[in-house]
Amino acid sequence: MRRLAAWVLVAGASVPGRAASLVVEVRDPGGAAVSAAVVYAIPEGRTPLPPPRDAVMDQKDRRFVPHVLAVQTGAAVAFPNSDNVRHQVYSFSPAKKFQLPLYEGTPRKPVVFDKAGVVALGCNIHDRMSAYIVVVDTPHFGVTRDGRTELQDLPAGAYSVRLWFSGMRDEPRPEAVTLAAAERRELKLSTARP
Amino acid sequence: MLARSFQAKLLYFMVAGLVLLQAATLAAVHVSGRRALHTRLADELRVGARVLDRILEGRGRQLSETVRVMAADFAFREAIASEDRPTITSVLQNHGARMGTDAVFLISLDGSVAADTREGRQVGRPFPYPALVARALPRGEAAAVVAFDDRPHLFVIVPVLAPQPIALVCIGFVVDETLLGEVSRLTGLDVSVWIPAAGKRSLVSTLSPPLQSALLDQWERLSPSAKDPLQGSLRLGTTTYEAQLQPLAAADEGSIHVLLQRSVEAAWEPFRQLELQIFLLSSAALLAALVAAMFLARGVSRPVHALAEGAQRIERGDYATPVAVDRDDEIGRLATALDRMRAGIGEREERIRHQATHDSLTGLPNRTLFLDRLGHAIEGAKRHRNLVGMLMMDVDRFKEINDTLGHEFGDDLLVEIARRLRKTTRESDTVARLGGDEFALMFETEDASRAVDIAGRTGRALESAFALGGVSIDVKASMGIALYPLHAEDAGTLMKRADVAMYDAKRSHQPFALYEAVRDEHSLRRLAILSELRHAVASDQIEVHYQPKIDFATGRTVHAEALARWRHAVHGMLPPDEFIPLAEQSGNIGMITKCVLRKAIEDCARWRGAGHELAVAVNLSALDLYDPELPTLVNGFLHDRGLPPSRLVLEITESAVMKDPVHAARTLRDLKDRGISLAIDDFGTGYSSLAHLKRLPVDELKIDKSFVVNLDGASTEDGVIVRSTIELGHNMGLKVIAEGVESAEGWKLLATFGCDMAQGYYISRPLRQEEFLAWLKESRWGSGGGSERA
Repeated sequence: MRRLAAWVLVAGASVPGRAASLVVEVRDPGGAAVSAAVVYAIPEGRTPLPPPRDAVMDQKDRRFVPHVLAVQTGAAVAFPNSDNVRHQVYSFSPAKKFQLPLYEGTPRKPVVFDKAGVVALGCNIHDRMSAYIVVVDTPHFGVTRDGRTELQDLPAGAYSVRLWFSGMRDEPRPEAVTLAAAERRELKLSTARP
Repeated sequence: MLARSFQAKLLYFMVAGLVLLQAATLAAVHVSGRRALHTRLADELRVGARVLDRILEGRGRQLSETVRVMAADFAFREAIASEDRPTITSVLQNHGARMGTDAVFLISLDGSVAADTREGRQVGRPFPYPALVARALPRGEAAAVVAFDDRPHLFVIVPVLAPQPIALVCIGFVVDETLLGEVSRLTGLDVSVWIPAAGKRSLVSTLSPPLQSALLDQWERLSPSAKDPLQGSLRLGTTTYEAQLQPLAAADEGSIHVLLQRSVEAAWEPFRQLELQIFLLSSAALLAALVAAMFLARGVSRPVHALAEGAQRIERGDYATPVAVDRDDEIGRLATALDRMRAGIGEREERIRHQATHDSLTGLPNRTLFLDRLGHAIEGAKRHRNLVGMLMMDVDRFKEINDTLGHEFGDDLLVEIARRLRKTTRESDTVARLGGDEFALMFETEDASRAVDIAGRTGRALESAFALGGVSIDVKASMGIALYPLHAEDAGTLMKRADVAMYDAKRSHQPFALYEAVRDEHSLRRLAILSELRHAVASDQIEVHYQPKIDFATGRTVHAEALARWRHAVHGMLPPDEFIPLAEQSGNIGMITKCVLRKAIEDCARWRGAGHELAVAVNLSALDLYDPELPTLVNGFLHDRGLPPSRLVLEITESAVMKDPVHAARTLRDLKDRGISLAIDDFGTGYSSLAHLKRLPVDELKIDKSFVVNLDGASTEDGVIVRSTIELGHNMGLKVIAEGVESAEGWKLLATFGCDMAQGYYISRPLRQEEFLAWLKESRWGSGGGSERA
């Protein structure tokens, strides 16, 4: 129910006005589409950030769902346990260190990610469970699916478009993009090392 | 003996063959054992190297697992994530201590050392083994032996996952003797590991400290540049090793060397045991074979040995023991042949021996055997202190019997005598025929008087007449007896003494005589005389003496008998009895006869010159009658001196004539034809038959003096013999002369009997020529010639 509300919320935000949109295609050096890559655009100049939207990192069939979750800094992420076994979610990442003691169902308090960075998640019970929460200082981000994602509702202006993907060693050079109002820009990014 | 025997050769051959075979087997076993040993050692070393690798690998995996568990520990990860270095270091130290090592590192994902339990020495520096890190990240673990801190270490690196790698944790374990010892226990090899770059002190080894230092002494040889496995032998101290030097596979290339080695001696031990067993088995087999060979060889050689022994027995002269080898093969046939040979030789030898030791005529032992037995008997007598007697006997006048009755008769007589002798003697006595008519008897006794019994018994055995082939004959024998030890110490001397005794008996007309030592002295003298006889003639030691013969009719001397005398330098004047028989025996009689003849004829001629018309009488020996030159010689002497042959009378004894009457008659006829007068001497002592006498061309008979000497009455036996002999002589137209007239009674009787001439001591003893001449002039018996009387 809450999930559905969030989705509605996002859908609402993307209602086109005069805003521009950025369609990003991410491919690896071999030209294959890279999924679960996080693309985010940081606007040039200081602009106040909107309040972050909360997110959910579900645990289903001993997996984190989704595998990669992008949130704006300060977002609260809920870690519901949809499995019938207990999980113990933790992160030793500098951006957010935490652990949720062995639990069932949904913990009372969601975890607030108040620092930009990549948070690697693991379950202390199940070593193979792994997920990333990419915390970015912008509300404009997307996670590729089949190599594509679309950043909508971008106010016109200059942006630094960045990319994160699992296994990334060094961050690719940010792509500077200036969007006109209501412009729909296509952008191709590569996971190739800079 | 053994070394040359067939058996020994066979044995040597078999044993040598076996020994060679065994030696070859042992050598082959040894060589292939050595080869196998080296192959095995090489294999062991290769396997050992692999085992070492596996163990290191296994140990690495095992440690990786442990480290991974450690790295997965939430608290550990939490500590790592704390980013508080002291905390991190203490956590690492804590876990390191749990695992028994002090070398624990935390490596950042960028490859630098983030934490180091050893006082943080490496912190901030790049981790020295980036390849390990690179391997560990994708695989989740990596392990390798590295040269770290101058010591070989097993490094295990495991990423710390949260769940993505956030760092790597590396734990280093020193590769120590304990670890290598495990390899050593599994493989039986000694393992040494060192870091070439770090030098000698990096050596870790399962070798004992002395061997380690020996190994370090050869450090240079163990070339650190060796990349590939290098096998060879290595000598440490007194032990030789087969060794393999190679880089450690689990380490970075060439950074660590490993030396695997195995003592060759120790590895040889099982082979040595095997060789020892083979040697013992071989020895046992050899021994068994030796015993078998001995039995086999004996089976072959025993009959050969028996043959050889048989042959040796035959060689020794033992023909009685048969050569018995009961076999069907060649050896058996050889044995049969040898046995037949043995029997043949034995038989022949027995025959020859019998012939050699027995007289073929009588079958009695001969001289050789008799002497042999006599010798043995004397040897026995020396021990038993008894007497050995020897009786020697010859048959009187056997020659005459033989000549008269024939040799066949003589032989038969000897055989019969032998038979009788054997019959009278005991089994233990030996009767022998020494040759001719000579017999001997040997007896053992403890009583010397038994010799006389035996002589008496022997004499009686011959007493009864021998009737052979229709002729009956009386035989007399002379026996001489000598006794050991009374008369001689040995067989030869005993026989000579018996011989001397026998001649004594003969001379004294006794049936037997015991040896007397004094007589033998006499016989020695005889021997001396014999040897000087020839010299005596040459040096004119023979003198002629004369004894007159008186004619009863005139009472005057008509004849002079020449009698030889030997004027011996030592023994003085010797009568003819002493040297004439010796001269006859030695063949010197002819010489003496000629000497006497010559001198007598000379002297007679001299007397005639002095006016004495005498005839001279000279004695001839039987042997002289065989001299064909004699008549010519006599003629020559007479002619030389101008003496008419009628003035010479030759006297021949009756026995001399009887030895060979035919020949004697021929010679006498020759002499008679030359006008020489002949007389039969010693008439009445022989066996002469009147028939013989009648055929002889003699003029006179001389009655033997044994009949005349004791003549003291016409009616006595001698008187009858003398008178009848005189009448016999006269009837045959012969003059009769009596010798040995020693008394007036004898002279008168002979005159009564009508005897023609007389000779004897009653008239005169024999006189030297000068004395005789003087006697002729002075005596009443003188020749009647001579200047004074005439």
